[in-house]
Amino acid sequence: MRYVDPRFQKAVLKRLEALGHGIFYLILRIAGQPGAYALLIPVVLIYVIAGRRIHRLTSPYLRRRFPKHNLVKRRRDTFRIVHSFGQILVDRAWLGLNRSARLHCSLDGWDTILGLIGQRKGLVLLTAHVGNWQVALAHLKDLPVPVHALMHYEEEVVAKHYFDLRGESCPFRIIKTDGFLGGVVETTAAIQRGEVVTIMGDRLAGGSSATVRFLDSQVRFPAGVYRLAAATGAPIAVLLAAKTGRQSYHLRVWDVFHPSYRDRKHREADLTAWTSRFSKALEAYVTKFPYQWYNFYDFWDQ
Amino acid sequence: MDQLKQQLKEMIVQDLNLPNVKPEDIDDKAPLFEEGLGLDSLDAVELVVLLQKRFGVQIADMEEGKVAFASIEALARFVRAQQGNISKSTDTSVFAT
Repeated sequence: MRYVDPRFQKAVLKRLEALGHGIFYLILRIAGQPGAYALLIPVVLIYVIAGRRIHRLTSPYLRRRFPKHNLVKRRRDTFRIVHSFGQILVDRAWLGLNRSARLHCSLDGWDTILGLIGQRKGLVLLTAHVGNWQVALAHLKDLPVPVHALMHYEEEVVAKHYFDLRGESCPFRIIKTDGFLGGVVETTAAIQRGEVVTIMGDRLAGGSSATVRFLDSQVRFPAGVYRLAAATGAPIAVLLAAKTGRQSYHLRVWDVFHPSYRDRKHREADLTAWTSRFSKALEAYVTKFPYQWYNFYDFWDQ
Repeated sequence: MDQLKQQLKEMIVQDLNLPNVKPEDIDDKAPLFEEGLGLDSLDAVELVVLLQKRFGVQIADMEEGKVAFASIEALARFVRAQQGNISKSTDTSVFAT
């Protein structure tokens, strides 16, 4: 077999990726969102048929979400999950290119959020890498108190890029997790002032964790957020957004709870119970929207 | 100041649940986090809340946190300074009315 320099391969792939992006943007300008959606179908199809890596990345989730599906159905599932992720990316690009474009967003639980803010104990909005979390965060500009988002560098880049493209100011202040003590000083201070902090509750990036069941398997979830809420007395609302149509999203509060330790002896058990509430909310979400799970790695090995 | 340092040490040991540490084991000049006393970022959450509840002082941001959490000595200095500011602002408002 002929030897190909890996650096050359990488450079070619990078060029192809850039070309792919360029073609998508061109189609978006010429044919709008429907045109880009149409192009997405053959592109994802080729990706799913020819690529092996994508199956490795999606199978840990798909085999738990659809344990009875055979190989053919599993391929179809992979297509659907990648296709739905592609649509989210197209939507973001479409909103960026066309500033007058709007997505219709229905809200379920907005009064609950306003009620929790009214208690002046601060509020933790717990979200996850499902649906389109930028859409969820974009709506926070209408809240009556400042909103902060505790974010890793990659999420911060994506969020800033989204609002920059729209020509809109970011509706929340970003607290960086790479700062002193992972941004917890600012986060705690914001909660103490009665403000809102949004945190992604699914991906574990070190630190405190709790192991709970999710889709019939044990998985480690971050538990720091529950320690934060218990220490400050802030309630937690699980807020997740789902794409429900070509130009529509549904934003819903899936659960609300008030973490408070029973006593020192039961701290770990309490943390596990609150983590489990989040995993159940997430499970209910993926039961309803199975193809909007965007953690493309072995989530059960985190 | 020594009494305040002792109060802070006792609060850390008891409320942050450090079973193998005694207040007298904590060095006044040792860092509270990582290589010093070994507290982690989530202990910081509880410490910030405790400082507000017990001493009425707030650590608002990373810069203040870096200064305050450098050691027990630094924390005591920070609490004393903040309490001074609080009483000054209270005095001012009394004069203003």
